[in-house]
Amino acid sequence: MSDSHYVNDQPFDPKSIEVLTPEQEAIYLAPQKKLIWWKFKRHKLAVASGIFLAIMYLMTVFAEFLAPYSVESRNSDYTLAQPHDVNFFHNGEFIGPFVYGYDKELDLEKIQRIYTPNKDRVVKLNFFCSGDPYKFWGLIDADNHLMCADMEEPVYLLGSDTLGRDMLSRIIYGARISLTIGLVGIAISFSLGIIIGGLAGYYGGWVDVIAQRLIEVVQSLPTLPLWLTLVAIMPSNWSQVAVYFAITIILGLIDWTGLARAVRSKLLSLREEDYVLAARLMGASPKRIIGLHLVPGFMSHLIASATITIPTMILGETALSFLGLGLRAPTVSWGILLNDAQNIGVVALTPWLIYPVVPVILIILAFNFFGDGLRDASDPYG
Amino acid sequence: MIKNSAKYFFICLFALFTFVSSANSAEIPFLAEKVAADDLPAMKERLPEKPLIVDFEATNKTLGKYGGDLRLLMGKAKDLGQITVYTYARLVGYAPDYTIQPDIAEVFVVGDGRDFTFKLRKGHRWSDGHPLTSEDFRYFWEDMVKHKKLGKKGIPSQMLVDGKEPTFQVIDEQTFRYTWEKPNPSFLPALAAPSPLYIYRPAHYMKQFHADYADVEELERQAIEAKARDWAAMHTRMQRQRRPENPELPTLQAWQNTTPPPNTRFVFERNPFFHRVDPLGQQLPYIDRLTMAVVSKDVIAAKTGTGEADLQARYLQFSDVPYLKRGEKRNNFTTRLWSLGKGSQVALFPNLNANDEVWRKVLQDVRFRRALSLGINRKEINEVIYFGLAYPSANTVMPQSALYKNEYSQMWTDYDKEKANSLLDEMGLDQRDPDGTRLLPDGRRAEITIETAGESAEETDVLELITDHYREIGLKIFVRSSQRDIFRRRAYAGDTLISVFSGLNNAVATSAMNPEELAPTDQAQLQWPKWGQYSGTNTKAGEPIKMDSAMVQLQLFNQWMLADNDEDRTEIWHNMLSGYAGQVFSIGTVNNSRQPVVIANDLRNVPENGIYAWEPTSYFGIYKPDTFWFDR
Repeated sequence: MSDSHYVNDQPFDPKSIEVLTPEQEAIYLAPQKKLIWWKFKRHKLAVASGIFLAIMYLMTVFAEFLAPYSVESRNSDYTLAQPHDVNFFHNGEFIGPFVYGYDKELDLEKIQRIYTPNKDRVVKLNFFCSGDPYKFWGLIDADNHLMCADMEEPVYLLGSDTLGRDMLSRIIYGARISLTIGLVGIAISFSLGIIIGGLAGYYGGWVDVIAQRLIEVVQSLPTLPLWLTLVAIMPSNWSQVAVYFAITIILGLIDWTGLARAVRSKLLSLREEDYVLAARLMGASPKRIIGLHLVPGFMSHLIASATITIPTMILGETALSFLGLGLRAPTVSWGILLNDAQNIGVVALTPWLIYPVVPVILIILAFNFFGDGLRDASDPYG
Repeated sequence: MIKNSAKYFFICLFALFTFVSSANSAEIPFLAEKVAADDLPAMKERLPEKPLIVDFEATNKTLGKYGGDLRLLMGKAKDLGQITVYTYARLVGYAPDYTIQPDIAEVFVVGDGRDFTFKLRKGHRWSDGHPLTSEDFRYFWEDMVKHKKLGKKGIPSQMLVDGKEPTFQVIDEQTFRYTWEKPNPSFLPALAAPSPLYIYRPAHYMKQFHADYADVEELERQAIEAKARDWAAMHTRMQRQRRPENPELPTLQAWQNTTPPPNTRFVFERNPFFHRVDPLGQQLPYIDRLTMAVVSKDVIAAKTGTGEADLQARYLQFSDVPYLKRGEKRNNFTTRLWSLGKGSQVALFPNLNANDEVWRKVLQDVRFRRALSLGINRKEINEVIYFGLAYPSANTVMPQSALYKNEYSQMWTDYDKEKANSLLDEMGLDQRDPDGTRLLPDGRRAEITIETAGESAEETDVLELITDHYREIGLKIFVRSSQRDIFRRRAYAGDTLISVFSGLNNAVATSAMNPEELAPTDQAQLQWPKWGQYSGTNTKAGEPIKMDSAMVQLQLFNQWMLADNDEDRTEIWHNMLSGYAGQVFSIGTVNNSRQPVVIANDLRNVPENGIYAWEPTSYFGIYKPDTFWFDR
């Protein structure tokens, strides 16, 4: 009786205290990735943005097919034509999507071409048809297009530019450069950010001090003038491809600082964790510890912040090209298309030349929402 | 009280007006008060004994009324210099028929093409009332050009013939003479140029800054105060004629700047001693003041469209016309379409001095240049970009020029793909890649990079059309745009194969004007920069000409420089034009394209159709803005 400590010899069922439903169980047992996905799914706007972005990037892959015309194809009889309205009913009868052909008139008084839809000329729109020939991905000869008009008459769903080129096609082709420039740029800023931030956070001490000061210096530079100078010293005889890469590098070289800071602070806290100590005691090299044990711990955070910085890159390219300092015609990007729309008359007379602004805005918004969703999701217990 | 006195003033003014007008010399209202207060002499005394009577009949001008402010928009403060281009008072200047006529000078006599005597108008005064005399010309020649400190830059090139300077001789108060050993046909055109050779300075004013006439120590002290390096730098700064930055500097132009820079709005007031009069003997200009607002050049079209300028052409482009037309009614202005006076609106310059040996040989082959010219569909360019308003033409003089011949503008300009292709085949470029691109003799693809200064959207558009046209004749074109300095440097160095720029600067030339643009005379000529540099620098730099046809042009030019009569000069001009057209040294597209000129509806005497050109019209200069007036 001296030992009054009581031990219940009945088997213990933890579920008798807290009964988990199968759903709850699933949550508790789910791996990190699944949790993130679940959380992300709940952010409806982010999901929608993600789908939109995926479609846009797919578009850049299939630009040749999706664009009604090739990027250089022009019809000099129809310069600065306003967008066609798509109709479905002709004289009260459903005949599928079509547009009315334009009657052209040269107004020498106003020095303007005037296009009026002719209700007698029905131009039907065909799908999956043959149009301008192109080389798909520069390899396969093809002439299939998602949409073309069935007569010799051009159809401009978003109007035409000063040389009679289809704005829609040019916007689709322009997406190639404008959307990918962000990715290349982010790849550079990402690697720089992780390497410099990682070293600073892991080693601390003088490495950290140098990295921190470097970040401060780069961050304190006013970006726009800096871009301008960097672009100005680029040799003029570089090809467009070289200029494109140079611009992405310039954008990337300036943009890594925020990421480096985030990486550094994360590492500072994570390196004190027991599992890091354990790894170190087992003789793991710093490279292995950073790469294998630390970075995965905040990868989701990195991805989220990357999606938020991509818009900066896209805006950067657009701004530079708009100012005439980035890429130049005949390369097509949204910034270049907008550069053509600088003239004051555009706003008043040919507003469709400013349409490339719309995809720019949509893409930027989509990236922001998407990034928001990812950031929330990256911390599923938060 | 104020109202009353104003009323009283106007009654007085009216009385004065009726009184003097009965004497047939009404005082200018803007100056009436000063004249009444004896601060200024009456109009009669302000004018030279023989003022320049502007021929209103010949140019369909109407007699005007005094008053008003003419508003102009400019893109930078440096455009201050444009005002002296517009106002265009010159010692001698171009008349509406492009002959050189006396203006500030009363008469001039040329002997043997080498001896120039000028006689000034007796009683002609600077804007501060001091007489204009031979002393002002002597001051420029002896105290500036020949002065050991001020003349460091040397004698102006137009005053040198074979490296020799003229002898200058003052004959009396109003008469003086320049004499060279050989003829100097570029002297008068230089005096009449939009940015002329000013061979006079207001000596009475400038002497206070000149060490020979003023105390050097005092001057140096002033120079330090004015942040100038020394007295000479200060003198240079105070005497600028073309850019009237110094409001104190007396002028001979119709209006004088009253605003010192830096500023964003410059006000010019009438020169009370201006030497021109209308047929009634009323002193010009009619308009009292010019105001020049400096704004960003990108918003000039927008501002003009909202009626912020009374006379505007600078910084307006053809593509702005639809926008400008829209604002016309609301803002009371009219957009007129003048002819642009360039040999070609956009021209290609094959670089005959290209470094690439294979290409150089190809470009030097006249068949290649002819094929390039035949391969351009000028009609399409005209239709698409110029609304069919321009003339398809080679890069040569325009029909408005006395030297124009149809053959010059039409030679090798028909759109003829077959002929172009056969010319290219004939010269040995008959091998082609599977995609149709021709191969050079060394097997490279015939890919040409055309370089542009990237300054106008119009140029880019034309080039995109030409790229398509040239694909048809098996040439692949890439367009590279840079900035003007880099563009020029690359062409000069021979790195460029073909450059794009505007054509001849003076397309309404007469035989008295210098035909230098048609021969290798200057490095700035993009088709032969090295040869041009060679002859332009007296063989000191560049490369000797190694092409007979180019040599012929230079020899003709040298003959023109020595010709002493107009018949010879005309013949030489024609030979040069025909040689230039036949050899297609540059490839023109269209000329006579339109320049929008926005004119306030109540501004009179601006021609309906004019030629808008730097030379010889000085933009508005030869249309005499001093005769423009406001009908209000």
